[in-house]
Amino acid sequence: MNTPYLTFDRITKTFGDIEVVAPHFDLGIEKNDFVVFLGPSGCGKTTLMRMIGGLDTPSGGEIRLQGVPVGPPDWRRGMMFQSYSSFPWLTVAQNVEFGMRYRHDLTEEEKLARRDHYLDLVGLYEFSGAYPNRVSGGMRQRVAIARTLASGSDVLLMDEPFGALDAQRRETLQVELRNIQKRDAKTVVFVTHDVEEAVFLADRVIVFSKRPARVVADIDITARLGADRHLDLRDSVGFFELRNEILRLLRKSGAGHE
Amino acid sequence: MTNLAQAVSGMGQIEDKTEEPVRAKPSLSRFFVFRGLLARRAEIALGIGGSVGLLLLWEAAARLGWTNPVFFPAPSTVIAAMGRMIVNQSLLWHAGISTMRVWVAFLIAAAMAIPIGILMSSYRVIGAPLEPVIDFIRYLPVPALVPLSIIWFGVGESTKIYLLWLGTFFQLVLLVADDMRRVPQEYVEIASTLGAKPHQILKDVAFRAMLPGLVDNLRITLGWCWTYLIIAEIVAADSGIGFVIWTARRYMKTPEVMAGVVVIGIIGLVTDQILRAIHRRAFQYL
Ligand SMILES: Nc1ncnc2c1ncn2[C@@H]1O[C@H](COP(=O)(O)OP(=O)(O)OP(=O)(O)O)[C@@H](O)[C@H]1O
Ligand SMILES: [Mg+2]
Repeated sequence: MNTPYLTFDRITKTFGDIEVVAPHFDLGIEKNDFVVFLGPSGCGKTTLMRMIGGLDTPSGGEIRLQGVPVGPPDWRRGMMFQSYSSFPWLTVAQNVEFGMRYRHDLTEEEKLARRDHYLDLVGLYEFSGAYPNRVSGGMRQRVAIARTLASGSDVLLMDEPFGALDAQRRETLQVELRNIQKRDAKTVVFVTHDVEEAVFLADRVIVFSKRPARVVADIDITARLGADRHLDLRDSVGFFELRNEILRLLRKSGAGHE
Repeated sequence: MTNLAQAVSGMGQIEDKTEEPVRAKPSLSRFFVFRGLLARRAEIALGIGGSVGLLLLWEAAARLGWTNPVFFPAPSTVIAAMGRMIVNQSLLWHAGISTMRVWVAFLIAAAMAIPIGILMSSYRVIGAPLEPVIDFIRYLPVPALVPLSIIWFGVGESTKIYLLWLGTFFQLVLLVADDMRRVPQEYVEIASTLGAKPHQILKDVAFRAMLPGLVDNLRITLGWCWTYLIIAEIVAADSGIGFVIWTARRYMKTPEVMAGVVVIGIIGLVTDQILRAIHRRAFQYL
């Protein structure tokens, strides 16, 4: 049996007396999988992501990427934060470009091309020269999305990335993200509170309990819906059943999800 | 005389400005919108009008004999004295000397405080031992250290620079450390997950993020520098504005004393406005 691409091996994590993940937390994530974390607010999803990214270290156990314990952050594990920050002194375009600033394997032209490509993807091309404080909250969020994607990391850690977007933009970006992930063979760990978003995007949905986080359910979405996702899927019976199943699980795990 | 005429016409303008809208809309309350904005022209008019009004009041008080001119000469007398001092006592040269002292001491203090302050809040091993020491020195009143610095440095140029440095460095270093501490951790984390090394985070992100606050603190500290300058020039100098003021005082030349004070005020005002304008231009994104 192969060891997974990314493994949580007997992880414990505490902040003072607060136990964030249940003792001996184990989880394996396969390469090129789109994994969505669902769970009650405060259960430890962000903390798990931060540990993968190297921003927090486990109190015990080890997180390994391709068998190697993860170290301090680097661009191969890209993180998109829940608060969608961008740098106020850089324009929208410069912020996206900053995503590649420390990648010396790309030429200047490649960086500019990528920058424009992702600006266009999130629909911000005409706001290239604007400063973040002058654009709306949803636009700032798209800056952060474009910056994260432009960085070209192999592992994408996205913490509620589509939270503040309008429904239509959200659908577009969901489809695009799924396409990028499959095309560029990325491994994505994605947190959301939106169950339909989870089912639509994920190859695999992991439902967590209340804090301390424990895996309540591990659902193989691709086995039931297939890998090919398009917007019509949302109207299918299979999609609907999965959604209700997960909502029931979440209700049982103690969250107030609608 | 012209001064007075200008002042009168200035005052008339102000009354026009404030009365006109009142007539247009019979309510003063639109000028008192909590945290509301004022039209740029009204802002300037009120700013100039306030000062002119005050000068006018002062002039009137002196001319009508409400105040004793020996202690409280009219603005026109002060300006006349200033003119004489520029011609006869090279007032501008003294002002230049003072300005130079302030800037030399200030630049030395800033050049030391900025890196030390940044390091103090970036690395606790540096901050922890330095903070108590700096906090202690910061509360020592500069005048109390004058005798000591004269013992150490004599009464030459270095004493004055040293006193000014003393008054600003220890304040500034803590302000810089604070600016650095206020840089959101998120910015640091974004850069680190994009592959930035600590020195790159410091240079490309943290420093950029703290810059507006830093420039503001530099501007404020520069103002304090002037306070200490006068103390330094009074006790140990034969040049500079402080020396001029102190000499004039000895002969009870109140207009000359006031002229010296006004020169400092003007230099301060102009410097401050220039630095504010630079701040506005450099940090348009705010
Ligand atoms: N730096 C910290 N210090 C102390 N406690 C922390 C810290 N970071 C997180 N916690 C605690 O750990 C728990 C898990 O937090 P985390 O942010 O991982 O939750 P989450 O699942 O991402 O929640 P949400 O869905 O609301 O974003 C919370 O109870 C929180 O109070
Ligand atoms: Mg979270």
